[in-house]
Amino acid sequence: MMSSPPASDKQMTFFPLLILCIVLISASSVNAQQTNPLASDPRAARAGGVIFRAQCATCHGADAKGINSIDAPDLTLLWTQAGVTENRVFDQIKQGVPGSIMPAHDFPDTEIWMLVSYLRSVAVAGSTLAFTGNRENGRTLFVNNCSECHRLGNSGGSLGPNLSNITSTRSQAALRNAVREPSDSLRNGYKPISLRTSDNSNVLGIIKSEDAFSIQIMDNKQRLRGFVKSELISSRRDIASLMPEFSAQQLSDAQLDDILSFLNQWR
Amino acid sequence: MHLFAALSLLIPTLSAVAQDSSGPSYGDILQGFADSSRWLTYSGDYSGKRHSPLTQINPENVATLRPVWTFQTGTTTRGRGFETTPLIDDGVLYVTGSNNYAWAIDARTGRRFWQYRRNLPDDLTYGASAPVNRGFGMLGNSLFMVTLDAHLLAFDRRNGDILWDVELADYRTGYAATGAPLVIDGKVITGISGGEYATRGFIDAYDPATGKRLWRFNSIPGPGEAGSETWPQDAEILARGGGGTWMNGSYDAELNLLYWGVGNPNPDYFGDNRPGDNLYSNSLVALDADTGELQWHYQFTPHDLNDWDSNHMPVLADIQWQGQPRKVVMVGNRNGFFYVLDRVSGELLLGKPFTATSWAREIGADGRPIVLNDGSKGCVPDPWGSTNFMPPSYYPELGLFYLTARETCATFVPEEPQLVPGQASFGGVVFIDGEQGSGALRALDVQTGELRWEFTYPSPTFGGVLTTAAGLVFAGDHEGNFMAFDARSGENLWHYQTGSRIWGAAAMTHMLGGRQYVLIPSGTTLTAFALPER
Repeated sequence: MMSSPPASDKQMTFFPLLILCIVLISASSVNAQQTNPLASDPRAARAGGVIFRAQCATCHGADAKGINSIDAPDLTLLWTQAGVTENRVFDQIKQGVPGSIMPAHDFPDTEIWMLVSYLRSVAVAGSTLAFTGNRENGRTLFVNNCSECHRLGNSGGSLGPNLSNITSTRSQAALRNAVREPSDSLRNGYKPISLRTSDNSNVLGIIKSEDAFSIQIMDNKQRLRGFVKSELISSRRDIASLMPEFSAQQLSDAQLDDILSFLNQWR
Repeated sequence: MHLFAALSLLIPTLSAVAQDSSGPSYGDILQGFADSSRWLTYSGDYSGKRHSPLTQINPENVATLRPVWTFQTGTTTRGRGFETTPLIDDGVLYVTGSNNYAWAIDARTGRRFWQYRRNLPDDLTYGASAPVNRGFGMLGNSLFMVTLDAHLLAFDRRNGDILWDVELADYRTGYAATGAPLVIDGKVITGISGGEYATRGFIDAYDPATGKRLWRFNSIPGPGEAGSETWPQDAEILARGGGGTWMNGSYDAELNLLYWGVGNPNPDYFGDNRPGDNLYSNSLVALDADTGELQWHYQFTPHDLNDWDSNHMPVLADIQWQGQPRKVVMVGNRNGFFYVLDRVSGELLLGKPFTATSWAREIGADGRPIVLNDGSKGCVPDPWGSTNFMPPSYYPELGLFYLTARETCATFVPEEPQLVPGQASFGGVVFIDGEQGSGALRALDVQTGELRWEFTYPSPTFGGVLTTAAGLVFAGDHEGNFMAFDARSGENLWHYQTGSRIWGAAAMTHMLGGRQYVLIPSGTTLTAFALPER
């Protein structure tokens, strides 16, 4: 303990502290309603990661991908939600999320901005790959194959997620996979269920909410329906996503590129 | 697994996927209570009677009424809480809450399908002082809600997605919006809050499909326009004359007229700089629903100095009046008078006090109140008024109008305010005598305005009223009780302590799975009641 550590180790322990100090000084006048003052500082995300693992990982997981059993959301998908801004994420960390187990945190504002920077850095985001498909062809394909269930701007269905900003929040590879293997990436709110009701009819839908006694779904006709579990004959969850698997025979790679190009620039 | 995958493959090819869930049409809303499983607009129908035909819960069994579920918003609320009336269609409740939260809720269990929260700016003006909302409008698969930053939103009711978002006015100057949009044929109608600020009120119509504004009625006229002669000839004063239109209106489809209340002039208590009657403040206006043009108006409180907004639910009814059938509109007003007006012409038929106010005791032959005490000779009703926006109810078979009355005593001390955009300008202070306040549920005979019965509350109360054809009145009080009364006698038949005062909200009722439910919002909870299952 008394002996001097090797120079390289010394540097390594000193450097993060220096970063922290610089970041703290540069952000000393942070206002809660401004944009992230640390946004341009790549060191903020690293500092935020340290705080995240110490303070947030118990619920959100060390990889920030969330823990389903306690409804702690996958924060790598945080930025895919409509209307999410850095300010709003800042507020949610600071004030907590009403109606959930997410508490308020009295961290200094600077540390919250570091967390925001970290969450930005782990986001599942669009890649920089160019979209090379034919947009007009993509529009036709989208209308014929997707719009019944997916919303784009002011039109489309509601059974699947809103795709208005999807290319800026998911990579092309992830989107291709979601079309080819939709059951691989089921979000909460879109998990499929098959119910046999008391009148012996089958209802296929996606789970919106559930407690010990009841379940709330959107059925495959896009109708919100609630059921009391004791009145159901049976229910099955081990079923595929309601979204069809589009194989390469049904939708070629080129056609898929067309759709993604259209989604990227549909306005 | 493969079977379901194969089944689901068919989904995109089905041409009429939305057939089962296309939602209510204008014709459905026009039918009002015809389908007892539905409640499609704020008052249940366009008339504002808030009188349901349901009879499963009746005076004999109402004592066994019990809570079935409670929905909690899970949010904190400053001051007032839930003021909403839930809408229901196809077993799903659509509910708005404080701070522009909103939910779709399973009506059988109280479990939510989705939650919406608007990311509000931190410099709200009027919206910060009253962060409330009174409900959705609905058409097809769209819901409409106004916001504390003075926008009108259209939602996809299936998942809470926003379809369009339009600005009604610049919230930073003092505007906000809190009412339940009224959906009529091809239009979404909404008013605006802000009369405590140097703003100018309006009533707007928007295209439900696109959010395009179709017309605007300014509640304070512009220079040279009809009504401007009741103001100083000063464009600046007119442009900040107040006249909020924040409560909901009623609609007569046959006459194609909208009936809407207009709020106080600004500044509220200081009138020296605005001599005259100050139209159309404190008035009921009848507007052509196609154009927004004024057909007639009646001003309840000319040159108001007491913040007695006339933002009440106008109640439409067809009654026998002195032996003749008459289409009337009825208003229980903040100034302490109950009014019956011909809703075709605007002719005043009856104006009688329903509280002990000494402000005025009669309406003169010219239709204006004969003011005895402007507040300088003892107390007059406080700025919350002799009643307020909490919905009243009309029971046609009994000819009785039920409202929540507030007996209060206030002294107004006017003072010229500094007018700063975005800052409230009441123009004085009010001293309210806390020792003298009380409240009451009152049943008024609409032919005479006379009190038929009352049930008194220990404090001035803000709960609204629902009646049902079984002979029941449901009402809430300031102490948190939700109660049922015999509509004929006023006898209290049942009560339930909700745990928070019932403020501005009135109950709604619907059928579901063979059971009649009654719902009341209170604080940050919504509770559903029904009779025990047999």
